[in-house]
Parts: sequence; C-alpha cells; structure tokens
Amino acid sequence: MIEIQVTITNKAGMHARPAALFVQKAASFSSKVKLASHNKVADGKSILAVMGMGLTQNSTLTITAEGADEEICIGALRELIESNFGESMV
Amino acid sequence: MALQMSRPGQCIIAAGGMDNGGIGTDVSKISDAIKAANTGDGVVVLVDLGSAVMTADTALELLDEKGREKVRIADAPIVEGAISAVVEASLGSSLATVLATAEDARNLKKC
Repeated sequence: MIEIQVTITNKAGMHARPAALFVQKAASFSSKVKLASHNKVADGKSILAVMGMGLTQNSTLTITAEGADEEICIGALRELIESNFGESMV
Repeated sequence: MALQMSRPGQCIIAAGGMDNGGIGTDVSKISDAIKAANTGDGVVVLVDLGSAVMTADTALELLDEKGREKVRIADAPIVEGAISAVVEASLGSSLATVLATAEDARNLKKC
C-alpha cells in the first residue's frame, strides 16, 4: 500500500469536473484507491463519494492505493491534482 | 457539462422540449433518442418532473420488447443523476451500476 498527502490547489476545488477526472483516472488502475480528508473516507473510484467529500481549495487529503499497480496509480493521481486538473489556481 | 465529463464513444442525447421548440416533452423525440443511444450496453433515461416521467414511460411503450429491454428510467435528480451516470458509465460499468449511481445521487449533500 502507498499513501501520499496532497493539497488541492485549483481555485474551485474538487468540484464535479475534477472529481470526474479523478475517478476516471483512478478507475483506469486495478489498485484500490481511497481518499481521506476531514475525517471522511471515500472510495476513489466512486464519483458520488468523491464529490461528496466537498474538497475545496487548500484542502489536504490523503490518498492511498493498494494493488499491483499502486505505484503508477498514485503517481498519476498526484500528477492530476498537481496539474490543478487543468484549471486555474486563482 | 455531462458531455464534457464523458469519454469518447459515450452517447448523451438531450431529448427534452417539444418539436416546435416549446417547453415540454415529446414522445417520439424521446423514443428516437433512446433508439439512437442504444448501442447494446443499455440506456439510462433521466427525467425531470411532471410530464417528462409520463412521456418517457410512453416512449418506452413505443419501442419493441428488444428495444426496451436494456432501457431504464432513473428515479434520480436530473442534473446530479445525469452527471453521476455519465461518469459511472465512462468507467465501463454495467447498466445496473450506472442506474444505481444515478439514483444514489439524490443523497449528495449540498451544504
């Protein structure tokens, strides 16, 4: 299992479109993906769970991946968040 | 927005409104859209309120048995349900899972 901590930096936070991108990326790997923030845990492959986290800009979250492709999976998810989902930071 | 979240090959058809551009729902418009959207894996139909539900039911009756076999009307809020269903379907999930996700969207908390 790999665990990383990341901060949401895009202005609008993990709203619908970024949540969709996250779930689609997570689902492209076989590893189990979990998100944890604000005492909530979500299945990283469930759009409703990820949107329901209500992650705003500057939220810190822990992502864990567990499975055969966990390393590449975590790397891809980190890259997605760090790229601000292609959105603006301000 | 739903289109923006979809993956290539996913079929999303807006079938609201009347033929003359007016507000309402049109039976043949909906049944044509269901036929066009059905590429074999199934179709989830999102409706808002009032006549939309009734018209969608009637549109289903216009299809033959095979045509409506994999068609489900979601008991879901239209915006949240549509977005959730599109994302779930983009993951390659089954019709039943897509329908369940659309219907679960009613539990999303806004504040």
